Amino acid sequence: MKKYISIVTVFLTIGMAGCKKDYLDQEVNPNYPSVTTPQYTLAGAEASSATILPLDYPEYGEWGGIWCFSGSYTPVSQFQEFAVSISVAPSPNDAWNDLYSNLTNYNNLQVSSESVPADANFEAIAMIMKAFDFEQLVDNYNNVPYTQAFQPSTILFPAYDTGQFIYNDLVKQLDAAIALISKSGASATNPGTSDIIYGGNMANWQIFANTLKLRLAIRQSNLSTNVAQADLASTASIGYIGVGTEADCQPGYTDALGKQNPFYAVYGFDQNGNPASGYETQRANIVASNLMKSLNDPRDSAYYQTVSGAINALQLGNPQNASNAISSPIGPGLIKSSSQPEPIFTSYESLFLQAEAAARGWIQGSAAAFYNAAITASFNAVNAQGSVTTYLAQSAVAYPTGGTLNQQVQAIITQKYISLNSLFNLEAYNEFRRTGFPVLPQNPASQDPAAVSQTLPTRIPYPLSELNTNTNNLNAQGTINIFTDKIFWAK
Amino acid sequence: MKKKLLLIIGLSLAVFFPAFAQNHTYTGTVTAKDDGLPVPGVSVKIKGTNTGVQTGDNGKYTISVPANGVLVFSYIGFTAQSITVGPNLVINVVLVPTSQQLGEVVVTTALGVKHSEKELGYSTAEITAKQVTATAATNVANGLTGKVAGLAVYELDNSVDPNIAIVLRGNRSLEGNNNALIVLDGVPMPGALLSSINPNDISDISILKGAGAAAIYGSEASNGVVAITTKRGSATNKPTITYENSVQAEKVAFYPKLQTSFGTYGGEGNYINGVTGFTEYVPYENQEYGPAYNGQPVQLGAPLDSANGTKDIVPYKAYPVSPIDAFFQTGITEQNDMSYSQGDAKNSIFVSAQNAYRTTVVPNDKNIRDAFSVRGHHTDGIFSVDYSVEYSKTTISTYIGNNNPLNTQYGISLPGSYVTTAGANDLYSSILQLPAFYNIKAFEDPNSDLGNASNYPDAYAINPYWIIDEARRDEQRDILLGQIKLAVDPTKWLNISYHVSDNFGIDQERYTKAEVDFTPYSISDPFGAGSNPAVFKSGKSPGAVYDVYQYGDGTNNNPGFARLQGDALVDLHPSLLKNFKTDLLLGNSIYQLYDKYQITGSSQLLVNDFYNINTIGGQPVAQEADYLVRNISFFGDLNINYKGFLNLEGTYRNEQDSRLSKAERSFNYPSAKISFVPTEIIPSLKNSDILTYAKFYGSLSQVGNINIGPYEINNLYGITNGFPYGSLGGLTAGTTNFSPTLKPEITTETEVGTELAFFKSRFDFNFSYYNSYDRNQTVPISTTIATGYSTSILNIGETQSQGYEFQVTGQIFTPATSKIGWTLGGNFSINNSKVISLLPGVSQLFLGGLDYAVVGQPFPLLKGTDFIRDPQGQVVVNSVGYPQTASALTTFGRTTPKYDLGVTSTWSYKFVTLSTVFEYRGGDVVYNSLGNSLAFTGSSYYSASNGRQRFIYPNSVIQTGPNTYVPNTGLSVQDGNYGFWQTSQFQATNSPWVTSGAFWKLRELNLTFNLDKFIKQTKYMKGLSVALTGRNLFIWTPKENTYTDPEFSDTLPTSGARGFSDINELPGTRVFGGSVKVTF
Repeated sequence: MKKYISIVTVFLTIGMAGCKKDYLDQEVNPNYPSVTTPQYTLAGAEASSATILPLDYPEYGEWGGIWCFSGSYTPVSQFQEFAVSISVAPSPNDAWNDLYSNLTNYNNLQVSSESVPADANFEAIAMIMKAFDFEQLVDNYNNVPYTQAFQPSTILFPAYDTGQFIYNDLVKQLDAAIALISKSGASATNPGTSDIIYGGNMANWQIFANTLKLRLAIRQSNLSTNVAQADLASTASIGYIGVGTEADCQPGYTDALGKQNPFYAVYGFDQNGNPASGYETQRANIVASNLMKSLNDPRDSAYYQTVSGAINALQLGNPQNASNAISSPIGPGLIKSSSQPEPIFTSYESLFLQAEAAARGWIQGSAAAFYNAAITASFNAVNAQGSVTTYLAQSAVAYPTGGTLNQQVQAIITQKYISLNSLFNLEAYNEFRRTGFPVLPQNPASQDPAAVSQTLPTRIPYPLSELNTNTNNLNAQGTINIFTDKIFWAK
Repeated sequence: MKKKLLLIIGLSLAVFFPAFAQNHTYTGTVTAKDDGLPVPGVSVKIKGTNTGVQTGDNGKYTISVPANGVLVFSYIGFTAQSITVGPNLVINVVLVPTSQQLGEVVVTTALGVKHSEKELGYSTAEITAKQVTATAATNVANGLTGKVAGLAVYELDNSVDPNIAIVLRGNRSLEGNNNALIVLDGVPMPGALLSSINPNDISDISILKGAGAAAIYGSEASNGVVAITTKRGSATNKPTITYENSVQAEKVAFYPKLQTSFGTYGGEGNYINGVTGFTEYVPYENQEYGPAYNGQPVQLGAPLDSANGTKDIVPYKAYPVSPIDAFFQTGITEQNDMSYSQGDAKNSIFVSAQNAYRTTVVPNDKNIRDAFSVRGHHTDGIFSVDYSVEYSKTTISTYIGNNNPLNTQYGISLPGSYVTTAGANDLYSSILQLPAFYNIKAFEDPNSDLGNASNYPDAYAINPYWIIDEARRDEQRDILLGQIKLAVDPTKWLNISYHVSDNFGIDQERYTKAEVDFTPYSISDPFGAGSNPAVFKSGKSPGAVYDVYQYGDGTNNNPGFARLQGDALVDLHPSLLKNFKTDLLLGNSIYQLYDKYQITGSSQLLVNDFYNINTIGGQPVAQEADYLVRNISFFGDLNINYKGFLNLEGTYRNEQDSRLSKAERSFNYPSAKISFVPTEIIPSLKNSDILTYAKFYGSLSQVGNINIGPYEINNLYGITNGFPYGSLGGLTAGTTNFSPTLKPEITTETEVGTELAFFKSRFDFNFSYYNSYDRNQTVPISTTIATGYSTSILNIGETQSQGYEFQVTGQIFTPATSKIGWTLGGNFSINNSKVISLLPGVSQLFLGGLDYAVVGQPFPLLKGTDFIRDPQGQVVVNSVGYPQTASALTTFGRTTPKYDLGVTSTWSYKFVTLSTVFEYRGGDVVYNSLGNSLAFTGSSYYSASNGRQRFIYPNSVIQTGPNTYVPNTGLSVQDGNYGFWQTSQFQATNSPWVTSGAFWKLRELNLTFNLDKFIKQTKYMKGLSVALTGRNLFIWTPKENTYTDPEFSDTLPTSGARGFSDINELPGTRVFGGSVKVTF
């Protein structure tokens, strides 16, 4: 009898002992932090930014005459046929997701730094990189959520702003970021090594912001009202990215699973030395290859690997395309090492932008000098085998000083297209859509007998996820026709 | 246990009458027909008098009867028998159990409290041990299917460790858990542990269907309860030993219809005949859009090992044995059970041991379970103790499938193939897409000349035998379920008890994948095909090893919780007023759930066949997490019964749960129930021969439900991909927006029903109607990433689940009136689910996959792409005759069955019993991604249905102007082969692959021979029976479904989403065998 009473007592005691005041307080997740520091957020966000440009735009490479589906793989036929719809979305749609995810982190950084004066540098970088990402969104989709974005507790269905509105606001944001660095940059905490793009060099961030402004201005060259261009003078003294101030991301890429340079990991080789999926599936496209051939451009064998001494390029959609064994994969000028830095904004792109701005009279300086410097920088970037001087001396390459603006722009964009090969397929496609250049030796359109169009898509559709999650605001954009609807700055 | 409990009640109520001297004294033993065991407590009365006795613990009785008197033997759950006494003074009686005697069934309700069914104001169903084990299913859940209206058991796959979901009354929660709570001897336990329980240990199962039935169990029971009561020792004083052996075979029964007419070609430009323009045979392809089989010898794949090596020459015609028939074996399940039970009025003990050994249709796969249990009871005066300990060890060995737990539970990608680029083939998909002219057995040894990875002829697939030999998952589960209940009964009107239970397990998994070394010749890719070996320029694909160690419920669910629970219960049942029986239950429940896991592994093993992460290249993969949930609740349950015909019950519960924030943590919910039994009070009904029993009941109940995991209220940061780089750390915001203001979901259910028994329970009829509303649904809704998060967890909207349940049992022939006995039962349920509201201004939510919730529609609703159609619904073809994908999504239908019908039938003739269970489900649709995959490879029968010739797309139209369409009478598809089936938009569109999900299945078949009467002479044996059993012997599906068992789904059992079958599952199987049961 007694023993039972004692047993019951023991259990009841155990039961009661459990009921301490904080017994139910289990809100803190022991597995993942719910706090971060500006340094961790910045490093993480910059590393993510460096994966978007090289990985999210393979179709722009294919449509733009730079890459081609390998003859050994069943092509993603819809993309080859341009039979793209909201439910058969091309992979640039990953950019929607990736850019907004990336923007969330920059936005969090901006918001959390606003109230802490010592974090002004983080705030400024966040603002600049937000502008960098939003420009990509507009260039892909035209109208996108902007003012109503990133307010999950109050706005689950953010409305879209026009591309023009966003572009104009980005100029303001960039000016504000430049001013913020000038005002409090020196007294504020330096991001140091957590800034894996500029290592905390805030003057370089001002240059980056200013170059981005220049890109926004140049992109709107077809428009009569160009807010970005009008604003160029206000920060002209800062200057633009050149050799030595390139924005390259380098967190410390190394030859281990998940730690390789992102372009190398997808279009080069895995950590075991086996070819990665992109290396197997993307081959040289005859359009860009023949353009370079016609100009005796030695960069072709940097961009595309030679097979038996020659570049064997394929034609998009051609049913007779050669197999992997004899077609050219992406070349040694681009796939150098698993620890190569990932370029975000190159000196040659900036120099081409300056060349065009100078040709248009928007900035000081010699367009020809910028042009030659840009090509030289491009040659150096990919270790091209050949003399840049010889190359520039050719009449088909030499800058058409004294030519019409159109001739100058054609020369600049043709060379820019060649320099943007593979690493910047989006930008090459953007400039093609803005200027109609380069004039290509072949129609880059698909040779697939089932191709639904002989003209290139002028834009991609919104992603299916938007139709599922933001239906009304998406539908307010009207029916998107990918062959006739244009980004607001397009020709 | 049931018998004994009633005996105790019976004894206390029994009135003994003195016997008359001139009478004869008769003795005998009463045994039960079903198990041959003595039945204590049987009422033995002399007809027409009040004189009677009861049988003792050993089933024996002694009674004095006048000449020609008639003895009536009656006992709950058995058909009463009348016997006129004669000169033989020993009268042994065998009682035949009634399948169900309404009103007298005792139901195990909350916390193991037993109630007479008469008193219940909600719908329940009882399943006996015999019904569960009729066909020797190794998992208890398989023994429940088709037997109860409103209970759906989903057998989601057919693997060696199958996923099973038990759902009562359809889905309520949009995205949360819709599964019933499993309760073992009064204590909730993880549903996944059902597979660890020995079905032969089960005494009976009570199904408490609705929210009302379960209000007292707390929030976990909002989807109904399956309450399992295990066996305790018998009270006969005599030790009983039971031994049972069953052996069953399992064979592939249902797989997609495949074409056997066309060989390999997959769009290669250099294999198009320059003269004819026709495609030619491609020796290394996996797609089957090549020339028709013609019996000519062809070279399969590249020459072995070198350009001038041996060539594998095979006839170009379908191999006589299909790859599926050749690959899959006959699985064998053998179960050996031994149990021992003994007891008396104060003590009882039950000990059991089981070994269940199972191989499946997949060679090398194994599941071995050893289960031991000890259960007992001891009474000492006013104190009693009841305990049970059950230990099981399960070892599972299986191939690594694409849906392996590492991938689905922990997000670590480890495909069961060495291929990294061309898509990782799963086992079944690699078999299904084998061209028909392959003799798969030729590649049976993955180390042989023909079968090795370098020589395997198909450039884009891997040898299925490589997967089952070289990519393995070995799992060991050690599970302990222990509980002890201490009770004290100090007075007649008070019981106090405390019940502690600890259920936990340790799950250890090891994944190993072998290194593959390729020959330089194979890497050189002789065909220039971009073949699998060509990818491995380094010469090898390194081996992989991953170890998972988890303390939790013992399964590989993440999180699968260990559970420690204490229940204190005070039961007051004073007799306050005459004619009133009152019972007040007050209780407190505290439980804690805990899970911790660690994973280490690497896919870069350095040394061939040496599986240890100490020897790797690069860095190891490491993960860990732990989860803790705590819950405290207090509850009361007041039951008032008036004269046995009117019963009122009210419950109230307060619950506090650690998963919610402090402000929202505490919530309350009540329920009220009423039942009325007119046959107990209305004089004209009281002794009616027609209407034996009638009950009407109704209830209104509410229950809270927490549908979030622990810590899901605060936003989190995760390590950015690739980090850390040296000492540099990076954090990225998670993509789910959590909310600290989340409230529990509230289910409000109204239920009414009736139970009627006619002609002394020869015919029983049950009906119930329920209507439940689920408010504050906790839904992780997909939000546009422009909000900053791709998912937001919110309390939104309301759903309705409403339905009807019918259950009918009739004894068409009874053994008493005819030689043949036939009991026929049917259960039928109709479930209507509807989304009432979502977010303000939002009429549709995306639930994942192809599932949606749409206001005013059932859920989950399958929506997907369809073809562009004219206003009449006919497909519009383009200029080359191909259909095109429309951009708007089309609604196909609901993905959970609306109708569920079970038909049970038992025939008996002398010692032979034949029972069957048929089940029908329908009213739902399934997306067969399998169909899509098979059209890609050209291996489906459908893809060859037009002979690969050009054809006019059936019932199509051509658009000739805005809104004008003309019937397509002459425009054939440009290419009826590869062009149409693979590259046109036909294959990528969802609608061709959506079929009805309906099926009829012969779920169970059991033919038992009870040989008791033939072993009467033997001294030691008490019973012997032999049975032939079968499960899922036949399935019938609509003609359009030529793909797979529509019950299968690639979703996890805890997910409400269904209706998506894919190529990563195994084919459907049938099981058949036999068993022997001996009682000593």
